[in-house]
Amino acid sequence: MSQKIKEQVKQLLADRKIKGFLGLREENGHVMPYLFCDPQELDSLSVGDWKKPGDARYPLNQILIQLAMAYPDETFAVLVRGCDERGLRELFKWKQLEEGKVIPIGMGCPDELAKACECEKPFPDCQIDGPKGKGAPSQRISKIEAMALEERFQYWLKEFNRCIKCYGCRNICPMCFCNECSLEEELLVEKGDIPPDNPTFHLVRAMHMVGRCIDCGLCEEACPAEIPLRILYKKITEVVAEEFGYKTGYSIEEKSPLNLIEVK
Amino acid sequence: MEFKTVLTTCPYCGCGCGLLLEVLDGKVIGTLPSKTSPVNEGKLCIKGWSVHEFIHHPARLTHPLVRKENELKEASWEEALDLTVRRLREIREKYGPESIGVLTSAKCTNEENYLLQKFTRAVLGTNNIDHCARL
Amino acid sequence: MAKKRLTILQKLLEFSGIHPERLRMRWVSSAEAAEFVHEITEFVETIRKLGPNPLKERVAA
Repeated sequence: MSQKIKEQVKQLLADRKIKGFLGLREENGHVMPYLFCDPQELDSLSVGDWKKPGDARYPLNQILIQLAMAYPDETFAVLVRGCDERGLRELFKWKQLEEGKVIPIGMGCPDELAKACECEKPFPDCQIDGPKGKGAPSQRISKIEAMALEERFQYWLKEFNRCIKCYGCRNICPMCFCNECSLEEELLVEKGDIPPDNPTFHLVRAMHMVGRCIDCGLCEEACPAEIPLRILYKKITEVVAEEFGYKTGYSIEEKSPLNLIEVK
Repeated sequence: MEFKTVLTTCPYCGCGCGLLLEVLDGKVIGTLPSKTSPVNEGKLCIKGWSVHEFIHHPARLTHPLVRKENELKEASWEEALDLTVRRLREIREKYGPESIGVLTSAKCTNEENYLLQKFTRAVLGTNNIDHCARL
Repeated sequence: MAKKRLTILQKLLEFSGIHPERLRMRWVSSAEAAEFVHEITEFVETIRKLGPNPLKERVAA
């Protein structure tokens, strides 16, 4: 595995088409993001499979935005899974990254990981390596919808009650790039409130994920309280698909329904 | 151009969560939880997430400061240390060692904190030492 | 734009266990006073039938 990725990156570096390849490196038994500028370093390349497939995934797109801001004239290659590719497409449309300056190096996810992530499309269109996993539909949404209204409310109240306001979900999200986050706005969110305004805080975050969430699952993995955030965001994505026929990250041109103002 | 992430341990509480400092061209620009650390398994509390903020903070002390005419002015290390030694001695003699308290910080290294408590207890002669994480 | 947001919000609220009819959006111009009164009166009735908002106890706590 990852042999094809190494070859492709080596070629891109040799041809000087990229300044560096943003991927993951295994060092002393740990996996961490790294920018490979020297092809010889690629021996330590990791794809984020540490003990289980995909258990050491990081928001590489988020780091890429920082690199692109510091070096706007350079082109970078980046390791992408199915979700990352969806993220890139949206980030291009939101003008956070320039399409011509990003070369995605695609990798697919195995069935096991796709099922754990309940991922609809666990492989990027630009895939060159890795398995082509089978999409797995979400089952957790229907469990909530089977509950009566009052039961649902109590369920969510209980889940959000564990929130310690660490902002982990927002910090790790590869699609969150707002310079001023409304969740940090003192006038909207009271300081020192733990758990933060239940359920409003999380409903606000869910609303901000409309047309933005790429279903990568990093938020749930970063939550120390193990709140099932993805169920909320998956529901939002479902609503947007039903109401507006828009699926986040599937189109290169079509913008999210909240990313355009119609002038009639 | 160089971008790398450096694995380190959170300096705050006793948990010792593993975190990755994002370093771009020698400057720390962010923090990510380490997914491969057995302690925290990819999760952090808000203190861990904001650990990188104090490193390059503009409000950090970069020079010894001495209060002269009710205003903090830059001074040399010799001047600052001489003043500190003189005044601590005077206060200890006049009011006793219990009149002195020492406040250290979780942002210091364990070694620095060890030195400071040794100094407070063995040299100043008091147990009045504490720090922002109360550890 | 507001209509899009509110459509989504209503579905989100329902999913979270808050009755969707607690949220309503209507366009009423300042010249349509009668329409406005009718709308508000009807809305108040709807809310009364639904009972106190479950979020109320959370705010007081």
